[in-house]
Amino acid sequence: MVLDRPPEPSAADPRPGWKDRLFNRRSYAWSKRFLDPLFLGAIAVLIAVPVYASGNPWGSFALESAFASIFIMLALAWDFSSGMTGYLNFGLPFFFGVGAFVAGYMSWQDEVTRYVPFLLAGAFAAGLACGVLFAIPTLRLRGPYFTLLSFLLPLLALDFVQAFWWELNMPSLGYWAIPFLGSTPEAELILLSVANGVFLAALCFLRSSHFGLVLRGIRDDEDALLSQGISTFPYKVVAFTISSGVMAFAGASYAMVNSFGGVDTFGFFFILFPVLIAILGGTGELYGAVFAGYFVYLLYANLFPTFAELTLILFVSLAILLVLFLPHGLVQPIRRFIKFMRTEQPS
Amino acid sequence: MSLLEVSGVTHSFGGNRALDAVSFKMSVDALAIVGPNGAGKTTLLNVIAGSVHPDRGLIQFQGRDVTRLPPWRIARLGMVKTYQVVRPFRSLTVEENLRLFAELRGKADVDQILQETGLTEWRDYPSGVLPFGLLKRLELAKGLATRPELLLLDEPISGLSRAEAQGLIATLATLKASGTRMVLVEHRLSEILPLVDRVVALDRGRLVFDGTRPDFFRDPAVRSAYLGSDDASG
Repeated sequence: MVLDRPPEPSAADPRPGWKDRLFNRRSYAWSKRFLDPLFLGAIAVLIAVPVYASGNPWGSFALESAFASIFIMLALAWDFSSGMTGYLNFGLPFFFGVGAFVAGYMSWQDEVTRYVPFLLAGAFAAGLACGVLFAIPTLRLRGPYFTLLSFLLPLLALDFVQAFWWELNMPSLGYWAIPFLGSTPEAELILLSVANGVFLAALCFLRSSHFGLVLRGIRDDEDALLSQGISTFPYKVVAFTISSGVMAFAGASYAMVNSFGGVDTFGFFFILFPVLIAILGGTGELYGAVFAGYFVYLLYANLFPTFAELTLILFVSLAILLVLFLPHGLVQPIRRFIKFMRTEQPS
Repeated sequence: MSLLEVSGVTHSFGGNRALDAVSFKMSVDALAIVGPNGAGKTTLLNVIAGSVHPDRGLIQFQGRDVTRLPPWRIARLGMVKTYQVVRPFRSLTVEENLRLFAELRGKADVDQILQETGLTEWRDYPSGVLPFGLLKRLELAKGLATRPELLLLDEPISGLSRAEAQGLIATLATLKASGTRMVLVEHRLSEILPLVDRVVALDRGRLVFDGTRPDFFRDPAVRSAYLGSDDASG
């Protein structure tokens, strides 16, 4: 049998542009993207938690869930770039802190820039800008070199603020009196849940496009991609820039929920929790962050009154155990279970 | 104009000269690069594909100098290499492994490639669970996914059983008949040589033969490379 060679692309049949690759119409039907039971489950959780909190079962649930939502947002952003590509970015608190400081700075300038949407948009834009400035030089490095550089970022930022806060006309080691995100914790939770829903849908859309395939390919074998014609660098830069924007958005939200954005946002806490959530959810899975985020943060919030500072030690231990015994998180076993239930069993 | 032209390519790893002024031209549909272990075959293929840049020499593909281009640029020009040790994207399905590259080309004829390589029924399986024989086929399919002008195959049948190797060679023959041009590096000469039109033989980094298949086994330099010289054999 002799197979005909497919025709070469002609002027009438041009090579695909970025839109074709991004929207990837041939590969995935919309139903396949968004009717995934785990995606629908994650959206259901994002709706259910604010609805439950509105009933106000106990005093602090809405506020704790709002903080959990911020960690979910951070975990989503980290998972989209680091979880999918395998480039471990421990500079997450830097972008988170940039968002908090930009929101603080803008709220101290004048009345116009104090509007919440402006603060969020400004932080998001600053995150994108910092992300691209960080990504272009560092993503030419691989493995531990990239990770080491990313790890230094929040430390540098912390030292910088501590050394120059007076020269920068900051009121202290941070900004206070930042406008609240919402009038009540319940309103803040609703806003954050909507933002998480939008980010989750957008990132899942990108994940299932050709762009997402390349990111997952980078994690598996970047050299093989390069040898077969895919220049991975621009894909990595775009992924890390997007995730930096989301991290900064989360930082601004945190500053507005607290009404204070200070140097604590550059802290270790804001790398430990998102990474723990991403691992428990399943790295590169995105949906898992929603389930794991509420679980981890609400567990922490409820253990803290009993164990105080020991709680963090408990969580670091949990992280070690997770990496050892459940490196692929909870989502993959759930996915296998769903597949098993859908498969027709022999009678 | 030759499809591929290699001129005076020299490359050393430290003090070890892996390639020593290797030159040849390819104008045929299928060329084999052969030689005993350590002859420099895989290094030559890596140099041609851009994975390793030579110390000296020139590589031209369709008349264009590609000596210092990065591998992804060379692949975009239409010269794609597959690996001896299979390198699937294990978290992706078989179909996704192909879409990754096929969509660079516009016409995503993934179905046809799956059919050509006998992987249609495995399309939805994660590539990480495939047995070795199918992974070898997937490696070939990935190479075909961008419909390259020239396919560089590094030991495509190594590690396969005789039956599996025959199946893959039949696939390669079909591809050749349909116009796919290829360079093969392979140890298993008796199985691969019927497929090729021209043979290039290396020994310790030097070119010792460049000619047609019938002349290959009669050439004294080739016999010496594989069996040892008369002096050495005593």
